[in-house]
Amino acid sequence: MLDLLRTELSCGIATDAETLQKYGLDWTRFYAPNALAVIFPTTVDEVVALVKFANLHRLALVPSGGRTGLSGGAVAMNGELVVSFEKMNRILDFDPIDHYAVVQPGVITANLQAFAAEHDCLYPVDFASAGSSQIGGNIATNAGGIKVLRYGLTRDWVVGLKVVTGTGELLDLNKGLVKNATGYDFRHLFIGSEGTLGFIVEATIRLAPRPRNLNVILLAVPEMAKIIAVLETFRRHVSLTAYEFFSEQALQHVINHTGGKHPFAEQSSFYALLEYEVVSAEDVDASLAAFESCLDAGLTTDGVISASETQRRDLWRLRENISESITPFTPYKNDVAVRVSRVPEFLAAVDAEVGQRYPNFEIVWFGHIGDGNLHLNILKPADWTVAAFKAECELVSGHIMRIVAEFDGSISAEHGVGLLKRDQLTFSRSMVEIDLMRSVKAVFDPNNIMNPGKLLS
Amino acid sequence: MKVLVTAKRVVDYNVSIRVLSDNSGVDLNNVKMSVNPFDEIAIEEAVRLKEAGKVEEVIVLSIGTSASQEQIRTCLALGADRGILIETDVEVQPLAIAKCIKAIIDKEQPSLIITGKQAIDGDNSQTGQMVAALAGLAQATFASKIELNEDTATVTREIDGGLEVITVKLPAVVTTDLRLNEPRYASLPNIMKAKKKPVEVLTPEDLGVDVTPRVKTLKVTPPAERKAGIIVETVEALVDKLKNEAKVIS
Repeated sequence: MLDLLRTELSCGIATDAETLQKYGLDWTRFYAPNALAVIFPTTVDEVVALVKFANLHRLALVPSGGRTGLSGGAVAMNGELVVSFEKMNRILDFDPIDHYAVVQPGVITANLQAFAAEHDCLYPVDFASAGSSQIGGNIATNAGGIKVLRYGLTRDWVVGLKVVTGTGELLDLNKGLVKNATGYDFRHLFIGSEGTLGFIVEATIRLAPRPRNLNVILLAVPEMAKIIAVLETFRRHVSLTAYEFFSEQALQHVINHTGGKHPFAEQSSFYALLEYEVVSAEDVDASLAAFESCLDAGLTTDGVISASETQRRDLWRLRENISESITPFTPYKNDVAVRVSRVPEFLAAVDAEVGQRYPNFEIVWFGHIGDGNLHLNILKPADWTVAAFKAECELVSGHIMRIVAEFDGSISAEHGVGLLKRDQLTFSRSMVEIDLMRSVKAVFDPNNIMNPGKLLS
Repeated sequence: MKVLVTAKRVVDYNVSIRVLSDNSGVDLNNVKMSVNPFDEIAIEEAVRLKEAGKVEEVIVLSIGTSASQEQIRTCLALGADRGILIETDVEVQPLAIAKCIKAIIDKEQPSLIITGKQAIDGDNSQTGQMVAALAGLAQATFASKIELNEDTATVTREIDGGLEVITVKLPAVVTTDLRLNEPRYASLPNIMKAKKKPVEVLTPEDLGVDVTPRVKTLKVTPPAERKAGIIVETVEALVDKLKNEAKVIS
């Protein structure tokens, strides 16, 4: 098969053990990779030829971007062909009137952000792994991150999409139109499809105007239940661009990992990090007024504010470095969401459940709480094996998922389903919905060669 | 003991500067402004000295437009006790700033004056030295450590190739280097309290200082853009380029 691949396809192929190991895995650390080969297409035509070839020979394909996924969506463990888009990494065009960038799928998210800044614009989707993740993967997982509160998800910025379906058809979807009421919008079907319907080979991305001046406030919040009341108070006063929360434990891990000092003289159980746009001095006064109301209502005990851009970035790092700083503890990640209004009730329910059943596990809480999105990380005690820990965490997860379902929440807010969450899909989607998803997949990928086994079993 | 610190309003360190299309200056429209980072270090040092019980009062001084009130408020939130703004719409240059500071020294009689070693807008690194000369005070520039004694200060200076420790008689002018300390965040309760702290607004005329610019800026241009790099195909091609184009090897 490999010989045939080499003769029939023009793109680069790697089969050495190191490449297979590296490209067969994402950041999910629970799987052993086993890929047949890694292919590096450089053009849309090469992708079309590759998919047609794979279709003919019933060869399973796994798309590979920056491989920063946390649900095993880019893992190849069953002899699949990995298709890396890293050589399709050019920004092809910028339109100064539409404020559109046309990008290849392998463009690194941070490079698109920098490109936008050069044109005095903003690509507002941002998260800790933006320096490694690729835009194709961002679209395939409908990536969220830290600015969703103000700017929405990746979906909200994709105005055009070129995809190659599982049968090798090239589709040019929506073509950058703002208005286009002409039936099913397949673009949105491909966004978040995790490579199960086809491959994204080009995208037209809308860019936002760049905010001029942002301030960050970090608040000490004594109880988890008060987090949403703080959000509500600030929302009434300022135009928030982000609202995040984390626990003292999370902060301690960051301080231990990166050095630096604690931002407060006295520790608090929880912290809320909020960012807002400052257009005039009145916005700063408004934020102070919001803080004063929170203080009076006992929602917060202390707060610090960034006085410069350097301080704004430093405060953000306290939040953004959490994931990295707990990685050595092999965290089992739950990425769940409920409606914002139900967050306090939901937090209390999960906290009670986890605390009661697993008093010996260290739980690190953080998340994009302004979107109702919580990252609950369970850290592996040093004396547990990975296998035993994962098995135990799956039991914990079962209980958390049941609570998520009770609250009509999502079992995967922004990390996707992939392999890791596949069998929990029923907690968020009905059997009828899942069957319809299978039918949709069969339309675009009749031979089940596109990332098989991910999202749907 | 009374300490006087300075706080210049400058374009934020992280802002990428844009030159105005008529080359008359830098575009300041809608640009984030902050306290000069070296002045931030000066304020932090003064507040720490106060917290250590070695200083009774910290006065923060800014010279510039009324917008500089914002930077004074920031410093008051960080722990300064009161502020003085010398308000002028004229572009103030180092000598004019130094004369204003000298006038405030005469008025307030501080035992220690701490300023940033330079402001990141003009990058002149002149003001502290000029203040010392005008006021006839000792100076210790580029400080990475300050120890206050009875009537002297022992200051570790960052100099080319190492550190120099000197002792100066008080009152003295100290300018701060990066390693002196790490400034804290302004706390919101302190920002609220700072609203009640007094800020005195004066004009250069009140102090009898002539701030007319002595240097005229003819033209401001951005640095030449770097040419895009190229990828060479072979080692031979690289050696050829290094030899014949870059001329860095022979």
